[in-house]
Amino acid sequence: MDILVYGIINSVTLSLLSLGFTLVYSISRLPNFAHGALYITTGYFIWLFLNGLGLRYPLSILLGIALAGLIGAMTYRLVLIRIRGMEISEIIATYAIGLAIIEGLRWGGLRGTTFTLPSFTSGSRDILGVNVDDQRLLVVLIGFAVFAILYLFVRLTRNGLALRGIAQDERAAMMLGIDSDRMAVVSFAIGSSLAGLSATLILPLGNIVVEAGYSVLVFSIAVSVIGGLGSWMGAIIASFIIGFAQILTEKFLSAHFQMVIALLAIIITLLVKPSGILGRQKELEERV
Amino acid sequence: MRNKLGRSIGVVAVVMLFLVGAACVAAAAEKPIVIGAPLSTAFLYGWDAERGIKLAVEEINAAGGVNVGGKKRPFSAEVIDTRDLEPAVPISDALLGLEKLILDKNADFIIGGPVRSEAALAAMDLLNKYKKISILTTGALTPAYHKKVAENYDKYKYCFRITSHVIVMANEFVTLLSDIKKGHGFNKVYIMVQDVAHARGGGEAMKKMLSASGWEVVDMKVYPTGTTDYSMALNDVAKSQADIIFLWMDMPESAILLKQWSNMKLKALPMGFVNAAEQPGFWKATEGKGEYLIVNLVNGGNAPAKITPWTMKFASAYEKRWGLEPEGYGTSSSYMAVYTLKEAIEKAGTIEADAVIKALENVNLMGVYGRISFDKASHQVIASDDPKTGAVTGIIQWQKGKRVQVFPPKVAEAKILLPPWMKK
Repeated sequence: MDILVYGIINSVTLSLLSLGFTLVYSISRLPNFAHGALYITTGYFIWLFLNGLGLRYPLSILLGIALAGLIGAMTYRLVLIRIRGMEISEIIATYAIGLAIIEGLRWGGLRGTTFTLPSFTSGSRDILGVNVDDQRLLVVLIGFAVFAILYLFVRLTRNGLALRGIAQDERAAMMLGIDSDRMAVVSFAIGSSLAGLSATLILPLGNIVVEAGYSVLVFSIAVSVIGGLGSWMGAIIASFIIGFAQILTEKFLSAHFQMVIALLAIIITLLVKPSGILGRQKELEERV
Repeated sequence: MRNKLGRSIGVVAVVMLFLVGAACVAAAAEKPIVIGAPLSTAFLYGWDAERGIKLAVEEINAAGGVNVGGKKRPFSAEVIDTRDLEPAVPISDALLGLEKLILDKNADFIIGGPVRSEAALAAMDLLNKYKKISILTTGALTPAYHKKVAENYDKYKYCFRITSHVIVMANEFVTLLSDIKKGHGFNKVYIMVQDVAHARGGGEAMKKMLSASGWEVVDMKVYPTGTTDYSMALNDVAKSQADIIFLWMDMPESAILLKQWSNMKLKALPMGFVNAAEQPGFWKATEGKGEYLIVNLVNGGNAPAKITPWTMKFASAYEKRWGLEPEGYGTSSSYMAVYTLKEAIEKAGTIEADAVIKALENVNLMGVYGRISFDKASHQVIASDDPKTGAVTGIIQWQKGKRVQVFPPKVAEAKILLPPWMKK
């Protein structure tokens, strides 16, 4: 039973971490390699608002997430719009921005174990006979709520439908009057805010360390590649595959192979089905 | 008559002032002895070592410098960030940093790291190549370091280590656990370690030694650097009814483990080598959830304690200079390494490597964490449970927001406490 409970927790956590990355790619076809940096930056902003400016925790969280969204939108508006379509340049630019943010934070003094965010709740409870932190339970509940809200957003709102339109066929969407650049800005803002939201939920479990920015990026790439680049549902399925694979590895093999499992899954996916579980991008090429 | 006397005193005073001034200028004008410090400065074991080194250098320079064959020379410290504690940073980067200190910064001596065991071992050949004496003060805990010196003295004679290592620490833990076993009737241990050389070595050593001394070792889990969830293992701890969770981790994320332990109110006392729990800020960072954790700070004096007359003097000076208590592993040893080097240079009367090596081999200095002397064959600092005879450890327990020395018994300031949910 512990495999089931911890598997779900681990999988939802991975989904939350990678959802923003997948969303940005699915709409704008831009890989945001600054995703991990935005995750850690949000944590640091919240810490700063809380401890430096003495703001209330909920307000600090809202400001932190909003700032992450703003940075994401500005990244597209100021940098990526100029190099859109040049795939290698897009990767280099977003990776460089992420690296600059992470190393800037380190240089600015974000180091050590004492940067932490307060937990929303403390204590633990038994779920199906397995002891679980309340905070992790909250991550799962909010995670499912986020999936549901996003699902409804892209189906019921004007902006959401426009995003879907761009994701399905950019040229056709543009012919219908949807502004591709505007939608890319919106997707970067939402994707970066999702990175911020996941930081808000997950960082209180431990501490804010800059290195987490790199591992968040690695897991986001793993989930997106396995799920199929640009497929939200594929990303969620991939999160559950990696999440459960990691828990099974810890249970039956050894915990220190957890990262290996994620990277191995990328290699196997690229060899067997390069488009990923639900990816459509390369399906035709694969058939050929 | 009075005017003449007054004038004479005035003249003598001016001459003396001039002579003292000239001496000070001469000392200041002497070429500094450059200490190169290769440290992973974004991590506790790097920045606290840097602060320890700088504090000692400032104190020594303020007192006139180092007497090198009759001439007073100041120390200067050059620090370089080796980044070797970061996950996935290659060892070659740390070695490049060390080489830069020697070639670009003209370091006469090396004090500090490289910090990660793997990098420190790789650096030994470089120290031999440039014939630079190094006093390792932080991070590297592998016994392979001093074994290499003992096995090939001529090649590695430049390498000294003024801090403890895994085998000594494991013995200290076993002794401490025996005391706990006697007091509380515990007999089951669950080991959780990080996937790095010193931690795996420490975990394996503990597993063997505890099994040999009558403990039941339920399991040993190895976690990659950066792990953020320990639920599975902690659930196993609860199921197996282990009495002790033994940890060996230097990653900041180990604070997560302690928070989870507290939230789950596990009936197992956590103890071990836990980097995240060494710093004074750990209490606030975990909202007090790290209370009752027992941590090995490797050397005494890394938290305030009354070990020798110098310990509290050092703690006060550190707090005055840096605004917080000595922070953790690497603080007192890095500070003492500078004083030990000063002692050796003054005995040798030169900074020439072979003479200073001989002087270091014969050092006998009552320091912050006991008597400092090196084994002549392996250049490893001699450890003891009595500060009068050797370097003592600093095993503390978090009690009401303070780091309280609980081992070794000769310098313990309080007894070990159990969390309320463990009391029978």
